[in-house]
Amino acid sequence: MYLQLVVSGLALGSMYGLVALGYHITWATSRTMNFSQGHAVMAGAVIAYATVVGLGWPFPLALAVTLGAAAGFGVLIERVAVRPFFRATSPAWLLSTIACGIIAENVAMLAFGKDARAFPSPFTRTPILVGGAGFYPQELLVPLVGLGLMALVHAFYHRTPYGKQLKAVAFDPEAAGLMGIHIPRAVMTAYALSALLAGIAGVLLAPLLNVAPTMGTIIGLKAFAVAIIGGLDSAPGIVIAGFGYGLIESFVAGYVSTGAREIVGFALVIAVLVVRPWGLLGDKPARRV
Amino acid sequence: MNRARVARVAWIVLAAAAVALPLSTANTYYLYLACSVGLLTVVTAGLNVLAGLTGQISLGHAGFYALGAYGAAVGATRLGWPLWLAAMTGIVLAAGVGALVAAAALRVSGPYLAMVTIAFGIIVESVLVEWVSVTGGPGGIFRIPKVPLGRYYWAIAVSAAAALWLTANLRRSAWGRAFLAVKASEVAAESLGLSAYHVRIVAFTVSAAFTGVAGALFAFLNGYISPDSFTLQTSILFLLALLFGGMGSVAGPVVGSAALTLLPELLTALSDYRLILYGSLLLVSMYWLPSGLVGALARGPARARPTGSPTREEPWRFSASIWEHGAPDPLLSATGVGLSFGGVVAVADVSLAIQPRRIHAIIGPNGAGKTSLLNVLTGYYAPDTGGITLGGLSIVGLPPYRIARLGVARTFQTTQLFGDLTVRENVAVGLAGGHLGSICAALLGTPRARRVEAARMRDADSLLVAMGFIELADRPANSLPGGIRRRVEIARALAGRPEILMLDEPAAGLSPVEIEALDAELSALRDGGGPAIILVEHHMDLVMAVSDTISVLDYGRVIASGSPESVRENPQVVEAYLGAGT
Repeated sequence: MYLQLVVSGLALGSMYGLVALGYHITWATSRTMNFSQGHAVMAGAVIAYATVVGLGWPFPLALAVTLGAAAGFGVLIERVAVRPFFRATSPAWLLSTIACGIIAENVAMLAFGKDARAFPSPFTRTPILVGGAGFYPQELLVPLVGLGLMALVHAFYHRTPYGKQLKAVAFDPEAAGLMGIHIPRAVMTAYALSALLAGIAGVLLAPLLNVAPTMGTIIGLKAFAVAIIGGLDSAPGIVIAGFGYGLIESFVAGYVSTGAREIVGFALVIAVLVVRPWGLLGDKPARRV
Repeated sequence: MNRARVARVAWIVLAAAAVALPLSTANTYYLYLACSVGLLTVVTAGLNVLAGLTGQISLGHAGFYALGAYGAAVGATRLGWPLWLAAMTGIVLAAGVGALVAAAALRVSGPYLAMVTIAFGIIVESVLVEWVSVTGGPGGIFRIPKVPLGRYYWAIAVSAAAALWLTANLRRSAWGRAFLAVKASEVAAESLGLSAYHVRIVAFTVSAAFTGVAGALFAFLNGYISPDSFTLQTSILFLLALLFGGMGSVAGPVVGSAALTLLPELLTALSDYRLILYGSLLLVSMYWLPSGLVGALARGPARARPTGSPTREEPWRFSASIWEHGAPDPLLSATGVGLSFGGVVAVADVSLAIQPRRIHAIIGPNGAGKTSLLNVLTGYYAPDTGGITLGGLSIVGLPPYRIARLGVARTFQTTQLFGDLTVRENVAVGLAGGHLGSICAALLGTPRARRVEAARMRDADSLLVAMGFIELADRPANSLPGGIRRRVEIARALAGRPEILMLDEPAAGLSPVEIEALDAELSALRDGGGPAIILVEHHMDLVMAVSDTISVLDYGRVIASGSPESVRENPQVVEAYLGAGT
């Protein structure tokens, strides 16, 4: 039981962390974010299901199409819901991205149907048994791929010239703009990357959860909780908070009840914010007078 | 017909329709729909206080709706209480929890605040599902006593009307101005003695209480409640109704509620597309209806009703010293104050003594630390080293609004007027400071609150007469040209009758004529027994003309201090300004 909970906690936690990194990426470049991150996760799962199960495409082709669509979703959100409100004082982008998300959910419902469906995966056929615990290979695969992707994101930002440019935009948009970095394109890239990560999480999670148009909201909110707990400005904080949240959730669900899982998880966010208003590893922003 | 009359006619038509409906039909479907509009109006009127006036977004108000509904339902069914007592329980529960959530949530803003409200909503929803013994779990609570719809309609209609009336009163009160002030500029509001945190908590609690009222009414309207009615989507729908109707206007909630309740009913054939409809409406209102349907129908900026006429019987007196036996000297003293940001030293070992009724100028090259010093003296930054005393009491570590209440007022390098308020209202925020009175009195518009308010407006007018721009009293602050903005900001700072007034580059952007007027104003203030003035300024003619003492800052240090003549001759000062070797 114990091992089983750890494995599934790490699997889910890694995905929360991955999706939460998406919030961090756009927040850092533009001080805005896509409140419909969860719907990008849903889009990844639904499109993967439709192409693999529905159309019977080979997995690599389906994956490429799915990820392209997810990144496109990010670009679309940025164009429709974020850019017009970029300089608005009130968080108008918060509401406009939510609007895009509920439209996306409805579109998925019309195309896919309302029912939840199981996504077959070669890694969820036979469980691995260790002692009394049983878990699927997929649950081991997910956190490994998740960690690998996080490392890739880190390398992109720290090793590649374009990643460094995005970092510069995050640090000081004005100076970065003066250095010749195209800010709108940087923001768009951040949104595409952010939705891409969410789409991958959708594909990875699809075999473990049921695929349904409504699956996005709660995953997006939990990932948002993780981003807030870790600190929106701190990628390491978010990765740690992701695994922590996944483990706590898994243990509460295992030992108490699945309903208590949500109560404990979200109460934890409020508690963290009361004690550390800018997240566990986030920096308190300087007050501007 | 002018806009005020159109609005009055619209209200009368609305009231007549609300009265005529139950008299002309007994169709329960129509009555139920009208009741739904009424309930949503109560919710959005409350949300309007939070989002429209203070500019905070909540994505968790379905939680307060649920607390109101379940409080009432549990009271009326399991405990067998009379309906009014059960309803009160739900409302008090929603308001009480609202205050608690606000205290936790409003320490943060933006996405962090959104997170807390979302988390609250989900926690409530999950508790409703899990706590089966009290809430009935996923199935909810059945057989809640109902009042015949024909009679209940009146209860809801009166509640909706009351909600609109209360929020209209609130907007015209000192609290309403404080809400708008905090929304426009938290920094400026705090400089006038308002605690932004406290003000926002009150707004949040009021909106939670309104939502709780609607929740309690909802329980007795339906006779059955379940967690499905209280999801994140419900919270989003509340916000959508407010945005679509018109945020910040009194009529917005009722228009938005009617639209959002009736539209899906008219389009039942499209029920599969409901979310697309909501999402598109939300986007449409954000793109093209920034002030909602109400704003689109009534174009042009809202004309504030003139709130008083200039009274010349009581000329404004600038002095109202809180010191009984003459002001202490020095009034304000700083010793060894230092401040650095990371490795950058902004202020180093600065000592100052500010004497009552004197003008003390602080000059220095750009980046010398002048504004940083003001921000330390007014509490916006805590000094790393050194001490600051005001009338002998240490003020280090006090928040800006506390220092403001002790008699320190200031203006800002970039003027921070409250744009949605008129000039008179801007000054009235300064007059009230932290004394906002009771929120209940403000909501009810009690005669006493109205008297205090009328007196305050007369005071504001005398100050505007004294400052010489009474004719601008009813102009919204964001419509003013730059020079006037600076002078209104000074008037607003003077309104609280401060002991010390700190002006941060008041002459920046002024024309030569305006600078002369400023020169005369500052001298008149000093000679008329006004506050001590700390003047941060680049305009040397002005500084030399009005100052009693000048301190020169360079690289965060005081390099010279003394009379204008001595400073002008000081070789170090010449070097700082003109560079070495001259």
